[in-house]
Amino acid sequence: MKPSKTAAPGRLLTQVAGERQTGALVVGGHPGGTVYLIEGQVTYAESPAAPGVGELLTASGRLAARTWQAALDAGTSRAHVGRLLLEQGHLTQGELELCVLGATYDAAYFALSPASAPVDFLDGATHWLGQVVRVDPAAVTREARRRARLLDEIFPHPDIDTAAVIPVPRPPVERITLTAAQWELLVSADGQRTPADLAQLLGRAGYATIQELRRLAALGLIERPPHREHPNDNPDFVRLPRARGTSVDVQRPSVGVSDSPTVPIITGARPASGDPPPSVLEPDPATANGTVYRPPRLARRKPGAKLPKDIAADTEHTHPGTDEVLLKRIRTALRALR
Amino acid sequence: MPGVENCLQEAMAIPGAVGASIVDYTTGFPVATTGAAPNEDHQAAAAGTADVVQAAQSRSLFVSAVPHDLLEDLIITTAGGYHLLRLVRTDFDSRLVLYVWLDRIHGNLAVARRRMQTLADELVAT
Repeated sequence: MKPSKTAAPGRLLTQVAGERQTGALVVGGHPGGTVYLIEGQVTYAESPAAPGVGELLTASGRLAARTWQAALDAGTSRAHVGRLLLEQGHLTQGELELCVLGATYDAAYFALSPASAPVDFLDGATHWLGQVVRVDPAAVTREARRRARLLDEIFPHPDIDTAAVIPVPRPPVERITLTAAQWELLVSADGQRTPADLAQLLGRAGYATIQELRRLAALGLIERPPHREHPNDNPDFVRLPRARGTSVDVQRPSVGVSDSPTVPIITGARPASGDPPPSVLEPDPATANGTVYRPPRLARRKPGAKLPKDIAADTEHTHPGTDEVLLKRIRTALRALR
Repeated sequence: MPGVENCLQEAMAIPGAVGASIVDYTTGFPVATTGAAPNEDHQAAAAGTADVVQAAQSRSLFVSAVPHDLLEDLIITTAGGYHLLRLVRTDFDSRLVLYVWLDRIHGNLAVARRRMQTLADELVAT
């Protein structure tokens, strides 16, 4: 394995395809992805931002998770999971081909769209799915570029593609019309899920999800993510939940950081990149000079006292869906290690 | 069990068929193509196909007159031919349409429409 180098993934794909190589082109960065080739032809691609064949088939209920897992267990070592599903009559040839083609172009968009990323070519690596389809690599790169252009025609703000999706509390117009896909996204967007999370959760193609989100952003129905100075200093491999209220009254009076809340609030350890926890306790001198760590004393809440509204909204930063998505990701990652 | 290639071959066997393709209508991308395309450009034909399907689907008039009323097919008639678009419904998430370009003189609209229905169903049926 060659050391990772930084290059244009599309150009490297064209190069290895020209040499008719077999292996996996691994693209790092966020979201990154992997494009698998057999004798210079693309057979599959995967990316954390795009649900794979297994997620598409199981999330839709087309295959029971058990059936899929059984095929994985039996076929992974010899890389013929696809053929196994056909032989056992779980899928038709047409379904499998269409599903693989869709997932491949979807993931290839995410893997190949960065202008430059750390890329590796693992010579001889093949995917456990086996060869179901063969696609001309030139068509794949051309399509990835075309898809990027299509998104910019809808609404040219790529930051929407990766940031947590936050529906606006109030639509900017009196009457709105949504497509079924947009509705699904809005009801599942809890202010923390990213477009990739939503795609995995709903079993929808990653690109189609982003397309709808850009449309929603153009309509002013989801919030534009705040501009981050260094987008890479917070790698969200395991995304820590960010505290964000989803439906706080816009009319509520804003509470400044200096305003001390009516009740002392203890906040647990938070991600360093997030907002600093409100400093409600007087700083312990021992902790302040950094010599002795002592857990902060627990403040007692007055009986019957309520949390201030904005902090109450702040505390709901766990959602069952987050675990679900995280589990799915871990499962996919473990599967890839076999 | 027919695959994608097989499905397109059978589509070309429809009397009067000049060209056929399977198009992803969210992106306007031809997933598979065979035969001729208008102006010999399958890419442009797919983009046009996608626009037409999206136009029909985005107008509530056509797709939500009654609950669970789904778009099945679209037929565009020109002086020289028929353009038939049939939605391929897969259980998993996809947005695909089977497109067949039919010669006006040699093609029979009713026959072609029924054959395309069978083809689209067989492609994804177990």
